[in-house]
Amino acid sequence: MSTTEKSIVDKLGWLVLVLAVLFVVLIVRVGFIQSVEGEYYRKISVQRTIKTDTIFANRGNIYATGGNLLATTMSKYTVRLDMVTIENKVFEENINALSDSLSVLFKKPSSYYRNYLRTGKRRRNRYLFLARDLGYIDYARLKTFPILKLGQYRGGLITEQRNVRARPLGNLAVRTVGYSDYRGNVGVEGAYINYLKEHHGWRQKQRIAKGQWKPINDKNEKEPQDGSDVITTIDVNIQDVVHAALLEQLETFEADHGCAMVMETKTGEIRAIVNLGKYPNGNYFEKRNYAIYEAQEPGSTFKLASLLVGLEDKKVDTGDVVDTEKGVMKVYGRSIIDSHRGGYGKISLARAIEVSSNVGIAKMVMESYKSNPQQFVDGINKLGFGEKIGVPIKGEGQPFIPNPKYVKRGDPNSWNGLSLAWMAWGYGVKVTPLQLLTFYNAIANDGVMVKPRFIKELRNQGEVEKVFESEVLNDKIASEETINKLQEILKNVVIRGTGEKLYSPSFSMAGKTGTCQTEYWTGNTQYVSSFTGFFPAENPKYTCVVVVNKPNKHKGYYGATVAAPVFKAIAQKIYASSLQEKEVTLDLPKLASLESDYQEYQKENLDLKSKMPDVRGMALMDAVSVLENKGLLVDVQGGLEYVKKQSITKGVDIKRGQQVVLY
Amino acid sequence: MSSLLQNIKSYIKGDLFIWALVALLALFSFMPVYSASTNLVYVAGNGTTIGILIKHAVLLLMGFTIMFFIHRTPYRYFSGVSVVMIPIVIVLLIVTLAQGTTIGGANAARWIRIPIIGVGFQTSTLAGLVIMVYTARYLAKRKDDIIDFKESLLRLWTPIALVLMFILPANFSTTAIVFMMVLMLCFVGGYPIKYLAGIIGAGIVILLLFVLTAKAFPGLMPNRVDTWMSRIESFSDDDSKEGYQVENAKIAIATGGLTGKGPGKSVQKNFLPQSSSDFIFAIIVEEYGLFGAGLVLLVYFVLTFRLYVAAKKAGTVFGKLLIVGVGFPIVFQAVINMMVATNLGPVTGQTLPLISSGGTSIWMTCLAVGMVLSVTASANVTEEQLATESEDPLEKLYHTEEIEEA
Repeated sequence: MSTTEKSIVDKLGWLVLVLAVLFVVLIVRVGFIQSVEGEYYRKISVQRTIKTDTIFANRGNIYATGGNLLATTMSKYTVRLDMVTIENKVFEENINALSDSLSVLFKKPSSYYRNYLRTGKRRRNRYLFLARDLGYIDYARLKTFPILKLGQYRGGLITEQRNVRARPLGNLAVRTVGYSDYRGNVGVEGAYINYLKEHHGWRQKQRIAKGQWKPINDKNEKEPQDGSDVITTIDVNIQDVVHAALLEQLETFEADHGCAMVMETKTGEIRAIVNLGKYPNGNYFEKRNYAIYEAQEPGSTFKLASLLVGLEDKKVDTGDVVDTEKGVMKVYGRSIIDSHRGGYGKISLARAIEVSSNVGIAKMVMESYKSNPQQFVDGINKLGFGEKIGVPIKGEGQPFIPNPKYVKRGDPNSWNGLSLAWMAWGYGVKVTPLQLLTFYNAIANDGVMVKPRFIKELRNQGEVEKVFESEVLNDKIASEETINKLQEILKNVVIRGTGEKLYSPSFSMAGKTGTCQTEYWTGNTQYVSSFTGFFPAENPKYTCVVVVNKPNKHKGYYGATVAAPVFKAIAQKIYASSLQEKEVTLDLPKLASLESDYQEYQKENLDLKSKMPDVRGMALMDAVSVLENKGLLVDVQGGLEYVKKQSITKGVDIKRGQQVVLY
Repeated sequence: MSSLLQNIKSYIKGDLFIWALVALLALFSFMPVYSASTNLVYVAGNGTTIGILIKHAVLLLMGFTIMFFIHRTPYRYFSGVSVVMIPIVIVLLIVTLAQGTTIGGANAARWIRIPIIGVGFQTSTLAGLVIMVYTARYLAKRKDDIIDFKESLLRLWTPIALVLMFILPANFSTTAIVFMMVLMLCFVGGYPIKYLAGIIGAGIVILLLFVLTAKAFPGLMPNRVDTWMSRIESFSDDDSKEGYQVENAKIAIATGGLTGKGPGKSVQKNFLPQSSSDFIFAIIVEEYGLFGAGLVLLVYFVLTFRLYVAAKKAGTVFGKLLIVGVGFPIVFQAVINMMVATNLGPVTGQTLPLISSGGTSIWMTCLAVGMVLSVTASANVTEEQLATESEDPLEKLYHTEEIEEA
């Protein structure tokens, strides 16, 4: 062959050329993958390696004014079993033990579970129902049971977790606490959902291996934000009292429904709101928020407003005598009849309210305003009866006050000859219990009409975020003189009027009964019994309205018989417990002092220098703990709660085992 | 300072350009290896990142030590050593295969554990190198003769075939590449092309026989025939396991862009198996972009060019063929590795020389570079000198064998 050096180098030149071409091909190939195929691969890269993790935030809680939890979010667990996953051997060995455990937890016989599980196993059920909506504690316990403790892959445990809104106090004020979900926005939760609402955060994560993700940035892309807690004005103790009192009366009188509210006179804070409706089975539950939505004819309780307008317009005075005749008055062929047969004869206007004379009030208004009904209607409207109060809770009923300018034949809302006379005693108008309460509260509050409130403040992470102040709707609904007269009349209602059954020598109350016919247009007249008032009569603290709809008329229907006892029970219980109220309720701000005590204690405790600390003023228990942690022998002289003196001066070096005396 | 440099320079012989390029690649290699190490440490849970970096440094240091001593060795010695090494590597390959069967597992048959150091060593890489030197030796010896096919079958192809046969069961790609490199060397070294065609035919026939035997008697010997099949199939089909590697490599390349994500910022290193060896080029593109990859390619190309210059300058045919036989395969291997990473070829286990981590790859590349440097260090040695200086005992041993045969 004869291989020369030249032939080698020549052939090698070709080789270098081939390699050069390959290098060019490679760089072109990289460019090709980046440009032509690039978009596709970059897309799947993001799909596969970047994910957005939701960081769940919590919806705010709803608290009662004393710190009791009214609504919160809880996890509920529904548990099922995949019977195929459980090995036969494991199943046979543990079925008895598991059945026993389930029987203890769910209070069903063990044999029931043995059968149930066996059937499920035989039918190869992969989704065998075990329990629904377990709380965490029960769920945690369930997970320790035989077989189930083997988990999903060997024990066949299937868990479905969901977050539900829970009400630790059950049905208490449930309608007012409300909810906000697919059903709509109801109650406080619905009204304040914008504050309560949680804002989930998110962060981007990059996959670094199968099942392993690392956050891309050191901060979350969006921080989760828990919803604010809403502190309502509801007082659980009062709510409980009102609930019990109303329920008892509804049951006694087999009423269709009823509501009761207690409002703090000065601030307008609603301390209790109970709405109970009868279900077909005869039990009462929070069915609808009657207190807020149910605008209906108020009847006698409205007479006070008529009198107020008359007094304010200087048309009449409480001492003016009105002739109730024989208790019947004809207006355009229709009769106004007093419930007291035979009437009261000639009585003062004040007395007419006390005995709730329909004729008396109607006559007064007719005589005063027949020529100018507009003036009367304006006076009523000035009291706020014509419009909704505007509470944030949805569903407030639309009140109705007829307008003399609106006349249209055939329209029931039209003004007619009867309107003025009937309006005077609370017919042909519609108001809600909440409006009545607000009006009577204004009387109790010396003429200052405050807006009813359900919310005290918003808190986030324990910090007060927003405080809702009392809102004054009308700082003077009437002159002081008028208010004083009306207060006096309401007191007398209880002392010697329709509400005299309420009278208690030990405790003063004031209020007005209402017995209002309803559904009289159907021929089967039903009644709405109510009582609106305040207590104590002097310097009233609470205003309260009780409305009972459609009691069994054979058992009673007068406001004094049906509604007033509820009012009395409420007033007495609140009054009786008001002295100890401070000790009963656990108000959140009080924790602050506790917290500072604790911090002081911790500060001393962590201070490891062997010098005598100053424990004077500390709670004795804390002081002993601090000193013993420093190795001192503590001797306590006398049964004191707080340390007054210490035998070793502060700052002095101490040794372990040294004796110290606290006085 | 300059005296120190002078001092070092006095020890370093041969083409400084090649020295510099090799050092450059070795230095650069720390970056992708360090980056890829996070995968091993945090995902697989092996060792620490610093540990992996130190290990790489130690391996490179050992490699450069090998390179240094080899380059100080006159290249004529390699000729004889290759003859002695043939039976040794055959024994080593058999041991490797045997060990693989006892350990079990697909990759185990490629490695033996070096006693004392406890580092795995891929015998096939050494075997390939030995074959290349042996082929260069044969071609140089026959440079003035007309090659007799039968004689070459016995003296050249039989030893090659023996060695390749023992690489094949565990490592098809290395076998194929070594075989191709031998063909390349034979072509350059003047071996008649008509004979080469026959040899290629024979090679294919042997391969087919092997595959058929393995398919017919699956338990007979350790082999990876099924893996080869799937890899070759998967080259055209993206859904398989190899498709997963290729796809991830492509994602790495595509997301790298022009300038890359920056050192250590690779995402795909976490999903690419062998991100520090077989698929390191994809990681380089991802972290350093098209520019970075271009620079790496440029360095390899300059190395190719310097190898060409070195071959041209070499005074003897053996010297030239040695450079072609051990130097060019480095570049070819780099090209193959990068072609795999860019999905231009089926997945093989070839590393990127001087950049990938892995002891065998580093040491054998350094050994090869050392031999090339040795040739460049004595470029002035002529055929005559080579002939007269061929006095090493191995050469004599070889001659005595011939005499005994006669």
